Amino acid sequence: MTPSRRHFALALPSALLAAGCAAPHRGTGRPGDPIVLTLLSHYASGTLHQALKGPVDEWNATHDRVKVRTKAVEFTDLLTTFMVRQAAGQGADILHPYCLWNGQLVRAGVLRPAPPEHAERIRRDYGAAAVGAVTVDGTVYGYPTEAQTYALYYNRRLLREAGIAGPPATWPELEDAAYRTTRRDRYGNPLVQGFGLSANDDATTVGQTLALLHAAGGRFVTPDGRSTAIDAPAGRAVLALEHRLVTRGASAPAVNVYQAFPSGRVAMVVGAGWWTGSLRPLMGGDYRDVGVAPVPVPAPGARPATLATGFMLGVNTASRHPREAWEFLRWLNADRVTARNGTAATRMSMLQVSAGSLTARADDMRALLGTGADPNLRPFLDALDYAVPEPNGPGAARAKTLLRKNIEALWTGRSSVEEALRTTRRQVDQEVSRPW
Amino acid sequence: MVNVLTPRSPERAPDPLPGAPAGHGRRRGRHRETVVAYLFLAPALLFFAVFLLLPLGFALLLSVSRWTGFDLGAIEPVGPDNFAALLADGSTFLVPVLTNTLLFALGTVALALTGSVVVATCVDRLRFQGLWRTLYFLPIVTTVVAVGNVWKYMYEPGGLANGVLNALGLGSVAFLQDPDTALPSVVVVQAWASLGSAILVLTAGLKSIPASYHEAAALDGAGPGTVFRRITLPLLRPSLLFVCVTQFLTGLQSFALITVMTRGGPGDATNVAALEMYRLAFDHGDWGTASAAAFVLFAVVLVVTLAQLRVFRRAGEDA
Repeated sequence: MTPSRRHFALALPSALLAAGCAAPHRGTGRPGDPIVLTLLSHYASGTLHQALKGPVDEWNATHDRVKVRTKAVEFTDLLTTFMVRQAAGQGADILHPYCLWNGQLVRAGVLRPAPPEHAERIRRDYGAAAVGAVTVDGTVYGYPTEAQTYALYYNRRLLREAGIAGPPATWPELEDAAYRTTRRDRYGNPLVQGFGLSANDDATTVGQTLALLHAAGGRFVTPDGRSTAIDAPAGRAVLALEHRLVTRGASAPAVNVYQAFPSGRVAMVVGAGWWTGSLRPLMGGDYRDVGVAPVPVPAPGARPATLATGFMLGVNTASRHPREAWEFLRWLNADRVTARNGTAATRMSMLQVSAGSLTARADDMRALLGTGADPNLRPFLDALDYAVPEPNGPGAARAKTLLRKNIEALWTGRSSVEEALRTTRRQVDQEVSRPW
Repeated sequence: MVNVLTPRSPERAPDPLPGAPAGHGRRRGRHRETVVAYLFLAPALLFFAVFLLLPLGFALLLSVSRWTGFDLGAIEPVGPDNFAALLADGSTFLVPVLTNTLLFALGTVALALTGSVVVATCVDRLRFQGLWRTLYFLPIVTTVVAVGNVWKYMYEPGGLANGVLNALGLGSVAFLQDPDTALPSVVVVQAWASLGSAILVLTAGLKSIPASYHEAAALDGAGPGTVFRRITLPLLRPSLLFVCVTQFLTGLQSFALITVMTRGGPGDATNVAALEMYRLAFDHGDWGTASAAAFVLFAVVLVVTLAQLRVFRRAGEDA
């Protein structure tokens, strides 16, 4: 081997190793060398990807000193990507986590508390559920972005065919409508489920149950997040309702409700607001049969309540430019601009509405949705006023999984209502009281 | 390139330099050859160190620590707490997670082994053997996600499996939603998916049995059943051992198929150790308990594999 070749052979791997290990240049903010902030989110494809691209491009075109670069992964890979990149010292400056993970991220020292002026603005401008979702132990950690509340989706045609004039407002009406709309073939295969129960994943299975639980005035965990509160009359009533619907044949958790409802094989189901955006293109003309109503309450006159979940934009503790990152978040989430129809709203609100979703800024939503928007979004918007945020303590994700397993055990006859509540209490108490 | 490791023949070996001691030269040459050998081995050793020893050591450290998965500086030693939590009263790891794992692996091995012996024996007597082997091998080259989803649809209340049952006048079965049938239903799919590789190994084993043994047995009046039991099966034992051990190991570590088909549900009915570890680590940020679970599973795998080898050795097969 000649000396030049030998040098090249040594230099190439060394250069590759150095390039691979070195942190990317993030800029200094001096003229010609702008600071580059990275934003990691799950807006990886479709309308959300396009929706986020708009304001980021606008920021980059109008700001010379600080630029923003977005990185996106699928939602299912988001938490893992946070972990891997953070452990490798490559964490993004701005993170876009699901609020359920906030306790876990705070415990791990990933999220930076919002500076006082931002925290004050967030507490002032957003609804209580959204503020609760971005708050851990009394500290605000970011700007709420998309907000999801739960409501009752129903198929007008199926209700009409069963002689039911409108959506149920109470649990007795819900049960009656569910039994009347259910149809099965002679082998017991469900043709139409009166009330769909999703056994798809933690989010949908637990989401619908917690929505009904809140409507009954109950809670999953205590306000301090240190013990479970579902083993109470409200929790007993919800699980008993679901158990009756399954055993009497009105619900078939075996069927994927997210496929069955769009094809007209489910009369009613409790779901989150994001689904409207998917149902409309999926169902085409049949979407006119879809209606949305508040989650029914146990008895007439009861105060409405439901579940709220959401995401937030926060700043990484490892970011070298936190001030610039918070400045970008303020510009995106708090500064108001004028939309095409003349209404003023934040860029984030416009972004979410353009993607068929909502933010927790009720004033923006009412202005942007106006009169021409999908009327099915209205109940989700109204629910922002009374929805209860999902617990977000350090063991919240695990507690949610444990609750799902016990709900499924109840639906499949493995446990009674009392056993399911007892086991949930024991397991969740053990999880949320762990000394992290 | 000259192969420096090739031993030189005595007649071609150069004479030692005048005045230099012959033994010293040979030692230097041998030392040089050793260094060169290690240099050649270095990439493989480095690969093992980086991708096997390093993660193993890290997992061992995590199994006695508390770590949320984000900051390497925040690894906090907790001693055997993670193992104690896994084995504590009320923990779901031993029952049902670990028992599900063993049942899943056992069921898969039993079904796949029986099926592959039957199919391989039949294929061995057919024409176009290559075609049959290719057909049975197809599930192996199909992605697990596709296999899992197709079977999932077949198991659905209005799916093919229930369609067949209904056509026979039987009621529908909630294969994946009934906790009593969910695990066996997934076992069937795993066994079906691993049939191809087992058939490939067993047909190769069958080909290695000399035809003269069968001819001699036939001359002695042995029927097909006796020939299969007394000649084919004993001589197929090395292949059976290989299939048994590899299928069992695959079964114990199975993850993807269950994730696609049931996500461990309903409840914990199909939850297995690998899936539980993944959830603990990546969903719940509990890397310490997840690593402890990995070592418990490792111990189980080791014990089961040693037991299998011992059983086969006792039966006369020196693995």
